Amino acid sequence: MKDPYARDVAEILEVHTETHNTKTFVMRFLDKERQRNFSFIPGQFIVISIPGVGEAMFSISSSTSNHENFATTIRKVGRVTSMIHKCGVGDKILVGGPYGSGWPMGQLEGKDILIITGGIGLPSPRPVITYINEHRNDFGFLEILYGTRTPDESIFAREQEAWRKMKNTRLALTVDYVPEGVQWEHKVGVCTILCEEMVTKPRNAVALICGPEVMMHNVVVELLNRGFHEDQLYLSLERRMRCGIAQCGHCQLGPKFVCKDGPVFKYSEIKNLPDSYI
Amino acid sequence: MESFIESLCRSYKVFAPVKKGVEYSFERISTARDLHLEYTTTILPPKKFFTPPRETIFTFQGDETSRIEDLIPEEKQILLGIHACDIASFNFLDRVFLGFRSDPRYLRRRNNFLIFALTCKEVSETCFCQSMGTGPEVSSGYDVLMTDIGGRYLMEASSNEGNALMQSLGLQQATLEDLEAKRGCLENLKGQFKRSVDRTGLVELAYNSQEHPVWKKYGSICLACGQCAMVCPTCFCFDVKDRMDISLKSGERYREWDVCLLLEFAEVALGGNFRKSRDARLRQFICHNLSYGVMQYNLMKCVGCGRCIKACPVHIDITEIARELREVMS
Repeated sequence: MKDPYARDVAEILEVHTETHNTKTFVMRFLDKERQRNFSFIPGQFIVISIPGVGEAMFSISSSTSNHENFATTIRKVGRVTSMIHKCGVGDKILVGGPYGSGWPMGQLEGKDILIITGGIGLPSPRPVITYINEHRNDFGFLEILYGTRTPDESIFAREQEAWRKMKNTRLALTVDYVPEGVQWEHKVGVCTILCEEMVTKPRNAVALICGPEVMMHNVVVELLNRGFHEDQLYLSLERRMRCGIAQCGHCQLGPKFVCKDGPVFKYSEIKNLPDSYI
Repeated sequence: MESFIESLCRSYKVFAPVKKGVEYSFERISTARDLHLEYTTTILPPKKFFTPPRETIFTFQGDETSRIEDLIPEEKQILLGIHACDIASFNFLDRVFLGFRSDPRYLRRRNNFLIFALTCKEVSETCFCQSMGTGPEVSSGYDVLMTDIGGRYLMEASSNEGNALMQSLGLQQATLEDLEAKRGCLENLKGQFKRSVDRTGLVELAYNSQEHPVWKKYGSICLACGQCAMVCPTCFCFDVKDRMDISLKSGERYREWDVCLLLEFAEVALGGNFRKSRDARLRQFICHNLSYGVMQYNLMKCVGCGRCIKACPVHIDITEIARELREVMS
């Protein structure tokens, strides 16, 4: 029996600095078979572990079609993430997973896809964007609305131009505020103001939402007001997690385990649950 | 009985209720004299044998990590004198640790034990297993069931291992009268319960109780000490931590019991906390026991052992909350 608490050694191949506090780590399992068998659904997460320090869960941010390696994008917020941020190319870390449900890829084909994300929420739906780009004709219109606190917190900046140039795609950005002396040609205001100029119509659309819970709540209200049905809205939630397999109990949201039943939920599944802003 | 226990102690490590101050505790016994089968309930439930309060997940030295076989050797042991409520708790824990994914640590510990259940001799103030459908009769989940039928014990085996063990001891054959005597004991117990929970529609009721004033009422007196969850036989939550040796070359990853009543339990990055208020944390504990557990595992989490009632320093009583939940919200 494979021990679900065992971790496998992975080597860091590349480190990309996204912002002053966020880096993308490209990794590969040392065990060739483990790497070959590692496949995931966009929206699933892995655990990254540094013995002696601890471990934490992160969305996989790389493309599902890449079987050579995988990546995750991490903001430095605490003990474990600070330690990971100290790692460089060639360093070895421990990895487990993937875990959880992903974005409902089966439901997306032929639909207009609306991705609304805030801050460090973008890594989770990024593999969806890559997948749509790789199978562009299987999907309708793609609209990405992305909000951050400040212009310099915007991640995957080097890719955003490519997204803009994708066929049948619109990318809109906003920031909460622009510090003095900083150039910013996009919107200013919280994420929901992007909904005002949104092009996507509810009729044949699915919305994928990932960000701080208060922001997701406001986005849901906005979309429902604009005629979206509850079952068209999917959200990826964040909770404290220690195991990823519904045993440590930390991620419980009413009767749901966010790690096992989520992190992606249909809005109708989680509305009205206690201890959440949704 | 004494010689029977002595012979078990010679061949196995036996864990059973012993007296600990004014309370009882499941501990290793080496002689029948240590045993206190007249106990009502223990401080900690027997879950500590399958998922210990603090348990090494793996040790590491550089890139090398330890194997489970070395941490948890295979060794037949006996857990003796387990009441119906605690027997029922094993069923719930099995679903947590062996359901969605199998935790090999739990599985090894669980398989290491033969379970000797014990029919209760009396019902304590805080017991309500009868209303939870888990007792007082032990109906499954044991290897051997022991019932005191007046100076003698009726022994019933329900597994091959239990049966083989009993055969080897050459016990006297039980009679129909002995079985009748056991039934009498159970009937007697059934009349003694002072606490109960009405389970009719309870799952839905608790699930929809978010705004009920009962949470504010009891949340305001709850100390959030977490004792209720620590002593709960089905509470399974744990935290995972790493410890480094002073050499900085080796260390261990371990897990230790964690409880949803504590402030840090639902904390996330950057100081976010989904259950900041004590009302919310108390509601999580109670609703998990009376409602969510059924939705997660198709089994009521609360087994009616009453330990949380006994342990609570401010006398919060889950049976009372269950009753007040039925009162119309004002």
